[in-house]
Amino acid sequence: MNILLTGASRGLGLKIAEHLLSSGHTVYGVSRSKSDQLNALQEAYPDQLQFAAYDLTDASNIKTALFDELIGSDIPLHGFVNNAAMAYDDIITNLKVEPLQEMYQVNVISPFMIVRNVIRHALLHRNPCSIVHVSSISVHTGYKGLAMYASTKGALEAFSKNTAREWGSRGVRSNAIVAGFMETDMSSTLSAEQKERIYRRTALKEATRPESVAEMAAFLLSDKAASVTGQNLFVDSGTI
Amino acid sequence: MVQELQNIVNTVRGNKGLDPVAAIGDETRLREDLGMDSLDLAELTVRIESVFQVDVFEDGVVNTVEEILAKIGEKK
Ligand SMILES: NC(=O)c1ccc[n+]([C@@H]2O[C@H](COP(=O)([O-])OP(=O)(O)OC[C@H]3O[C@@H](n4cnc5c(N)ncnc54)[C@H](OP(=O)(O)O)[C@@H]3O)[C@@H](O)[C@H]2O)c1
Repeated sequence: MNILLTGASRGLGLKIAEHLLSSGHTVYGVSRSKSDQLNALQEAYPDQLQFAAYDLTDASNIKTALFDELIGSDIPLHGFVNNAAMAYDDIITNLKVEPLQEMYQVNVISPFMIVRNVIRHALLHRNPCSIVHVSSISVHTGYKGLAMYASTKGALEAFSKNTAREWGSRGVRSNAIVAGFMETDMSSTLSAEQKERIYRRTALKEATRPESVAEMAAFLLSDKAASVTGQNLFVDSGTI
Repeated sequence: MVQELQNIVNTVRGNKGLDPVAAIGDETRLREDLGMDSLDLAELTVRIESVFQVDVFEDGVVNTVEEILAKIGEKK
């Protein structure tokens, strides 16, 4: 399969890239920077990994940069993993417009524009295609300081369900993985005590493993998930 | 140009199990005469774009073959 993956440079995205590459798939990876780890993957899979540096705060050049230049119109695309995101966290009374807009641009508007082009691409090639959004448990549980961030993920979940409904008859599936807290850069500002409190709210009493989320992403992308669409799949250590 | 457009129209029709049309003209309406719904029109627009590099639905609704040809930049 040919898979477009955003946020490939670090954290969960890197794990998903690794998983897909080692299973023999081609990954079109996107992030602002190319990390050492991604460079290492590039060396290990020189023919399977194509990378484009792109800043998703810019939604206007997505078609040109990602679809015309990175993927090219001749190559069919079988899946898209919307993984890149940023977290602007603060309590609501401190809310500022600029960081809020930037976060919506990266987490919501650019992903929507990518989906637009993914579906158009699939229509052209007439191939089934699977879209996987990485959402967050914060949508469903609520955490202090995460209202703005969680709202971007809620938008993705709604968009995903409606994508599934609108385009299912054309072989497009769309699902969201509701990920629990993972030990990545994104959560690195939390103190050990804060993390402990979050993990205590889970059945497994531990952080969500990126490998487990990557496994779910690979499943949703594959034909094994042919009848799964419009769903939110919780991979969250059983958050309660 | 019209012939090419007709081929594209027939590809889209074929993909939904409809017979090809023998001819299209300026007045031919995409929905009523060619039997296209909004998803078919989306497919039509990406196929036109891949051949003519023009996104014909980019700035508004297009209803007839004539309007498509106008957008592509060469009226028959
Ligand atoms: N960590 C958690 O606890 C947690 C929990 C639930 C859900 N999630 C979700 O899981 C996904 C992955 O998060 P993570 O924890 O792996 O975060 P991370 O370690 O911070 O990685 C974020 C990735 O997104 C890319 N990215 C960020 N801003 C970008 C921009 N403007 N343009 C292009 N790429 C950009 C980053 O690459 P560059 O910096 O190179 O651009 C990086 O590859 C996100 O959707 C996140 O919301 C995370």
